[in-house]
Amino acid sequence: MTPVLRRVGFALGLPAVLLTVWWVLSADSTDFYFPPLPRILETLVREWFGPRLTDDVLPSLLRLAAGFSVAAVSAVTLGILIGTHRGLRDFLEPVLELTRAIPPPVLVPIFILVFGIDDTMKVIVIAFGCVWPILLNTAEGVRALDGVLGDTARTYGITGAARLRHLVLPGASPQIFAGLRQALSLAIILMVISELFAATNGLGFAIVQAQRSFAIPEMWAGMLVLGLIGFLLSLVFSAIENRCLAWYHGLRRAQRQS
Amino acid sequence: MLEVTGLKKVYEGKQRTVEAVRDLTFTLDKGELACLVGPSGCGKTTLLKIVSGLLEPTSGQVLLQGKHVQGPPPGMSVVFQEYGRSLFPWMSVRDNVELPLKQKKVPAARRRQLVDDSLSAVGLGDASAAYPWQLSGGMQQRVAIARAVAYEPQVLLMDEPFAAVDAQTRADLEDLIRDLWHQLHVTTLFVTHDIDEAVYLGQRVLILSESPTVIRRDILIDLPDRRDQLHTRSSPRFAELRAQVYAQIHRPREEHLAGRPTP
Repeated sequence: MTPVLRRVGFALGLPAVLLTVWWVLSADSTDFYFPPLPRILETLVREWFGPRLTDDVLPSLLRLAAGFSVAAVSAVTLGILIGTHRGLRDFLEPVLELTRAIPPPVLVPIFILVFGIDDTMKVIVIAFGCVWPILLNTAEGVRALDGVLGDTARTYGITGAARLRHLVLPGASPQIFAGLRQALSLAIILMVISELFAATNGLGFAIVQAQRSFAIPEMWAGMLVLGLIGFLLSLVFSAIENRCLAWYHGLRRAQRQS
Repeated sequence: MLEVTGLKKVYEGKQRTVEAVRDLTFTLDKGELACLVGPSGCGKTTLLKIVSGLLEPTSGQVLLQGKHVQGPPPGMSVVFQEYGRSLFPWMSVRDNVELPLKQKKVPAARRRQLVDDSLSAVGLGDASAAYPWQLSGGMQQRVAIARAVAYEPQVLLMDEPFAAVDAQTRADLEDLIRDLWHQLHVTTLFVTHDIDEAVYLGQRVLILSESPTVIRRDILIDLPDRRDQLHTRSSPRFAELRAQVYAQIHRPREEHLAGRPTP
């Protein structure tokens, strides 16, 4: 069995097993709330690969992308500043710790009051929640940069923007990516949550609407789509991360072997 | 080329004040290869950090070609002891060596030439695409040396660069330093705790006392200019010089604290 085939087999193995079990167990189900899997899958293909893809899934994904990007840019910037200047960190820490402890879903009603019920509010909810893991990981990554590397950079006159580009960002990138990964999972959750209360389109909106109108197979289908999207986003993220952190993985491998 | 006058460094702590360096004064002429040797904890690294501008002295000054050193000056390269941590792991060997030159705004063609020349001078001509963590310790230190040399510095500072490599690699690297120095005539200050290494490499050996550190003695090494590991190290003159340095370093502590004048 070739390595690729084996990897694909591992990745799809458990889901395939679980789906099969689900299929078998639910095939004769007459329970209203747990319809047979074949019916759910049929609904999924019929509903979600049609106009819903552009009407609901796309807007949701765009809001997700916007919220995530805003969070990433602002959190990495602030994280670098905090990680570099000890005084700034001490100054901001109490406020940051307080704000961070508030769960974003709790803030949604307040955000609705302040920002309304359009796309801006949803993007802000996503961004607000995603900022924290990225910020804290970035600050830690920058703070923990090797002193010898820092001295080397100073010796050769690598300061300012060059230092940021060649030392700080690459050096903190493993930590930054760890924060981004956490933020991605959070972003998907917040994307759905932001559409639960006041929305006119979106994946979360569609799922909740199906639930409220007792269109149960549609609801299940929507949840499967959500899971699928989460999985695909995670794959894309891993691909990007492996590309950017190839040096880091190599370094760790070398360290482990020695 | 390099004038160090009255350097003093006092570390102020909460509980105690530590006078790491009391009074260091010496001069390096252009093209000289001088070694600084002293017992452990005598402030060798502190001294090197002050000379390279990474640390500020409590008093005293360092002049590089007559100009005051305040912060790392252009024209100085440093090779650190921890080679693994001084190379950027996200860049290839070539990029590592090239980065300071890019910062110095050297034109691309000349940069390529300097990088190629310095990498082949240290024997790593075909390793330029590798990453530092793919190389052995000795090779990594060679990359650091190539980077320092490609920079075309006025003064090259080396802070116990071979302390963390094995003895045979150390011997090869010592010869490499002498060869590079012969080729490039760069003023070099080599800090080490290894007495044999200091005598083998230097034209002069500056002997540091224990903390609070002063220069005990400045010995001229009159060994032949062409040296090699086998013959030089087994010559009688080498043994004499080595004994002199050793005696100076291990002089009784009371003599030093009593401030007796050095003979």
